[in-house]
Amino acid sequence: MSADTVLHWIVVVCFGYLLLVNAAYLALALAGLRENRDRRRESSAEDYEVLARSRFTIPVSVILAAFDEESAICATVRSLLALDYPEHEVIVVDDGSTDATLERLWAEFALVPYEVFARRIVETAQVRAVYRSALHPNLRVVAKENGGKADALNAGLNHARYRYVCGVDADTVFAPDALLKGMRLAMTDPARVLGVTSHLTIALDPERTMAEPPGRRRVDRRAFVAFQHLDYLRAFFNNRLAWSRYGFMLCAVGAFQLWRRDVLEEVGGYARGFTCEDIELTFRVHEHYRRLGRDYTILCLPDNVGTTEGPNTVRKLVSQRERWQRVIDESVWHYRRMLLNPRYGSVGLVGTPFYLLSEVLAPLFEVLAVVSLPLALAAGVFDPVVFALVLVAVAFANGALTGLAVLSDDVHSRLYRPRDLARLLLLAPLDLFLYRPVLMWSRLKGTWRFLRGDKGWYKFERNARGAGA
Amino acid sequence: VGLRTAVELAAAAAVLAWLAVALATVVGRAGYERRRRTGTLARSGAWSERRLVAHAASHRGEAGKWRRIAALRELARREHPRSRTLLRTAVRDRDRDVAGAAVKALGDRGDAWAVEQLVDALRRDRASRSRVAAQLERLTPAIGPRLVPLLEDLDPAVRFWAATLLGLCPEHGRAELVRHARDPEANVRAAVMEALGERGDRSAAPVVRALLGDAEWFVRLHACRSLGRIGETADAARVAPLLRDRNWWVRAAAKDALRGLGLPAVGALLPYLEDADAFARNGAAEVLQDIGLVDTIAAHGAGRDLLERILAAGGEGYRAAALVRADLAGHEERAQAG
Repeated sequence: MSADTVLHWIVVVCFGYLLLVNAAYLALALAGLRENRDRRRESSAEDYEVLARSRFTIPVSVILAAFDEESAICATVRSLLALDYPEHEVIVVDDGSTDATLERLWAEFALVPYEVFARRIVETAQVRAVYRSALHPNLRVVAKENGGKADALNAGLNHARYRYVCGVDADTVFAPDALLKGMRLAMTDPARVLGVTSHLTIALDPERTMAEPPGRRRVDRRAFVAFQHLDYLRAFFNNRLAWSRYGFMLCAVGAFQLWRRDVLEEVGGYARGFTCEDIELTFRVHEHYRRLGRDYTILCLPDNVGTTEGPNTVRKLVSQRERWQRVIDESVWHYRRMLLNPRYGSVGLVGTPFYLLSEVLAPLFEVLAVVSLPLALAAGVFDPVVFALVLVAVAFANGALTGLAVLSDDVHSRLYRPRDLARLLLLAPLDLFLYRPVLMWSRLKGTWRFLRGDKGWYKFERNARGAGA
Repeated sequence: VGLRTAVELAAAAAVLAWLAVALATVVGRAGYERRRRTGTLARSGAWSERRLVAHAASHRGEAGKWRRIAALRELARREHPRSRTLLRTAVRDRDRDVAGAAVKALGDRGDAWAVEQLVDALRRDRASRSRVAAQLERLTPAIGPRLVPLLEDLDPAVRFWAATLLGLCPEHGRAELVRHARDPEANVRAAVMEALGERGDRSAAPVVRALLGDAEWFVRLHACRSLGRIGETADAARVAPLLRDRNWWVRAAAKDALRGLGLPAVGALLPYLEDADAFARNGAAEVLQDIGLVDTIAAHGAGRDLLERILAAGGEGYRAAALVRADLAGHEERAQAG
């Protein structure tokens, strides 16, 4: 077989992969649109005013794991204390921060040390002290030795008193109705609804962004942040909503993950042996409940519950995304027994294969395409005009899929200024050339680190915030 | 040439698809902004009465269901003469979304007729019972007399909700609640315990005391909490043994109850400082810390032996926290004096 023939077939395989993945994305985007429409209708018929005042609204323990978050922590805690919810407690777990995280909390929330004899349902690194706020009776701070995010969440779980727990990130500012929106379906059917996540958006300064009124909210002027914004929209509206509709919601995101407490206890809490805890936990709950043949659901909702801090440099973005790639690889590998196994229903037959195809194998095909396409062009195996047309087709197809996510979000929330929507739509086709290469590099790096068994967090420095933070 | 044509077509289709989605987004948003400015966001607001009634009467398919819900809402808002009939049908509909929308409209209405329909919905279980209860909750305590007969319902879930709601109607159903403290269904007994505490009726304390030893942990838990609200000083001695209950949540509830009883509970707690059960020792120390005894003794100097007993029961972390608090109080005092 000649080199040209080999190149020809590599190019064909790469295109085949591209077509297959984009066909899957299109199918998911259409399913996501339907799911969004149904949830929007349900939400419009909901009596949030009554739920927000009713003593029958299920109380929630919010657990915030923080490590070296001095610049972000107070804004996040303020937003959690301001949640419009009848009964919730906020448990901040300081995971042995080396900066002034604890001091900031101490100063702003008037912390006083009290001993609290909590349960030890999950073993964690040693708790140094527990603080209560003299200003907010529902705020508790647990200071412990460093043990990683999962360990910190487990420490919070040991202190949680309520039937549902909501794990959140320290760099996210929440909307006042976040819990109410998130718990809406759990309250209707708590026996089946084990976990809920919801749409989060991204900004460089979440507190400032969340202060802007709905309908007038801005998308960051920098294209780099706008591309990340589009990436989030695609992930939530095109993918997770569809996964949720068909019963294979495989990622309750760490920034907002509501779980029934007894479920977390039953599966042994958050796992410390993985790079991140969120995807692995979702896989584990699916695996456990499917294996036992129990009726359950894990949902993703389209309601915007908060804004999380996005990296402001390429380097930070690569650090974040390579970590995400690693945890996907780790989870798919760890739960490989579910792959194409009918016992696990849509999780085994659709969800896990989709993850394998679109995430785990993506770096392999991306590298193959990047190496083979220039060679094919140089060798004359591939016509440059056809190549250019393919790029146009892929860029705009990608743009159309992203546009569906923008449309879906806007129909649901009417959050952003019309001019910002137009800008997002114009940027969408450029994503392939300006943003995807960064993701490609991140995924490659993540895959390499996964193969080496690296499980480090590689936390990047937080962005500088406004004076209010 | 065939490949090139196919790729050209694919590129053209992709560009058109992007344009179509972009236009749909921009035009859709412009339409929304226009409707918002003119105050016509709800399409049902522009429907004729005849159309509204037709939509609200029944539905077919998903789209029809949501048209029905919108029409029901609009008719209820307008207090249309036919809205009663339509809401009565809707609240009994097999579709839980339709029934749920009717429940909300009935709660907004809030008159005697609406209460009857909501009570009926609670019995029939067509809409989520917690949502029906949330609407009835808005109408308490006036609806108390209508809730009392529900305690005799054959369905334990109805009795549970009746008891829970009666907690907000202190003038009604005392005798019936007391009788149902012996209900065969544990969930109902737990709801009765919670309700008796919520009502703040101290004369019901003997009934609550009797259930501190219930076989079900969640009944003991609610009995504990209620006694913390309506019990008397002597009840501390009855609650304190639950600090060593086999269920962690009951132990936590016992701590809550003893905190609720406050300083009068101190005498009942002291024997537990040397209890063989670590949970009981820790629990007693935690309550003494939370009701302020530890800080008071530390500030005034008297009772050092007692303080040492409490600190020993609490352990190292407890002692360290107490020292920091004493230090903080000292700083505050000096600042005030200065």
